Amino acid sequence: MQDARLRLLTVIILSVASFMSVAGALAAFIWWIIFTPGIRTIAKSPFALFFLGFTASVSAVIWLTGGDGISYLVRMAVILLLAFYAYTDRAPGDFLDLSVWLFGKKIGFDIGLAAEMSLQGMEVLSDEARRTRVAFRLKAIKFGFRSIAPSAGLMIYSQFARAEEQADLLAVRGYRGGGMVCPQFTRVKGDVIASTSAILPLIFAIMPVGDIFILLQ
Amino acid sequence: MELEFVDIRVERDYFLIQGAGIFAPGIHLVSGRVGSGKTTLAMIAAGLKTPDSGRVKRHGIGSVMLSMQFPEQHLTGSTLESEIASWHLQPCPVLALAGLPGREKDDPFSLSRGELKRLHLACILSRRFDLLILDEPFSALDCREKMATADRIGSIRAGITLIFTHENQHLPRVDYLWEIRESALEFLGSVPDALVGWKNKPSVLADLHKRGVYPKNLSTADILEAACRTHD
Repeated sequence: MQDARLRLLTVIILSVASFMSVAGALAAFIWWIIFTPGIRTIAKSPFALFFLGFTASVSAVIWLTGGDGISYLVRMAVILLLAFYAYTDRAPGDFLDLSVWLFGKKIGFDIGLAAEMSLQGMEVLSDEARRTRVAFRLKAIKFGFRSIAPSAGLMIYSQFARAEEQADLLAVRGYRGGGMVCPQFTRVKGDVIASTSAILPLIFAIMPVGDIFILLQ
Repeated sequence: MELEFVDIRVERDYFLIQGAGIFAPGIHLVSGRVGSGKTTLAMIAAGLKTPDSGRVKRHGIGSVMLSMQFPEQHLTGSTLESEIASWHLQPCPVLALAGLPGREKDDPFSLSRGELKRLHLACILSRRFDLLILDEPFSALDCREKMATADRIGSIRAGITLIFTHENQHLPRVDYLWEIRESALEFLGSVPDALVGWKNKPSVLADLHKRGVYPKNLSTADILEAACRTHD
């Protein structure tokens, strides 16, 4: 989906549908299969399996303590899949454009810039994690808490250092808050179809499934 | 002992890198412009990246080490002491070699990139590997450190050493020369004979060749000897 505005709206609608009921989540999952690259969106993100695994663990705990772990798992997993889709489908500058379009050139620019820098930081962190794995492999160090802890500390430290350097750089370039951006959005035919289709899972989530079939009859 | 690239091809961004050839024991210099695919080939040689087609054969090679271009990419320790220990080395001699004595407890990020590179190279070159791959070993170093590093690399006598670099001022004595030309890795031959066919040779070497002077090798001492040579 090329239009960032439609993508955001669609993801919000589908997330609400998924959160509201299992039926809504299953319908949103079908939408995810039809309109996104599917499993490739997860493969692109090294964090995806971690978060999905974490959600599965929480669900197991809920289930073991007598709660509805299955419902939690289905709903949260679909919300995560939608989040990973939104993350992988974005283009650099999308959030800045979107934020300026929504909130204007002062606060909108600041929010958009912060979002863009955060996403860039996540990419850097992901790249550093990959490099660290290579370093572990080259040094024949076994992965474990004792070996990972210093590396994780180094990565966090480097992120702080990077943030400080970026802040200095912005200040040197004269940034004091707000800025000029002319948001541009491109839209293809499929964007509207995908966005419109996202309403169906919301209907499934709001109305009991049985009522939908009565209406259809 | 040998490393063989069997018709490897790998697509990177918008262009194709290909290479074939055998790396025998000795020091191999693989030269190429910035962005020509040196790092990709180094990763493939180290077994950290799989080519899209073709394969890499290793005969009689046990230990393999890749020195990545940016020294911070190798960091796994939170102090210089623990970083050196992660290379299975004693801190004191390595720190002395890197010109950082008494800084065992320092944070690696308190060092400049040049200092970190010195430390990293001191760790790498303090050990012996059957296959040592150095990706831009001279980056972030000043002239004096480049010369010292070139001397240390040139003194490696065992195993296969591959140097991937665009450096053209301070180089070690090498046995074989390779060049990446239009995305293809080409073997130019043994040094000094291969120097003549080196397309993107260092300017000092090109100037000497114009004068009909051919150095015996690529180290600063060899270049100086050739430049000061009064007759062949």
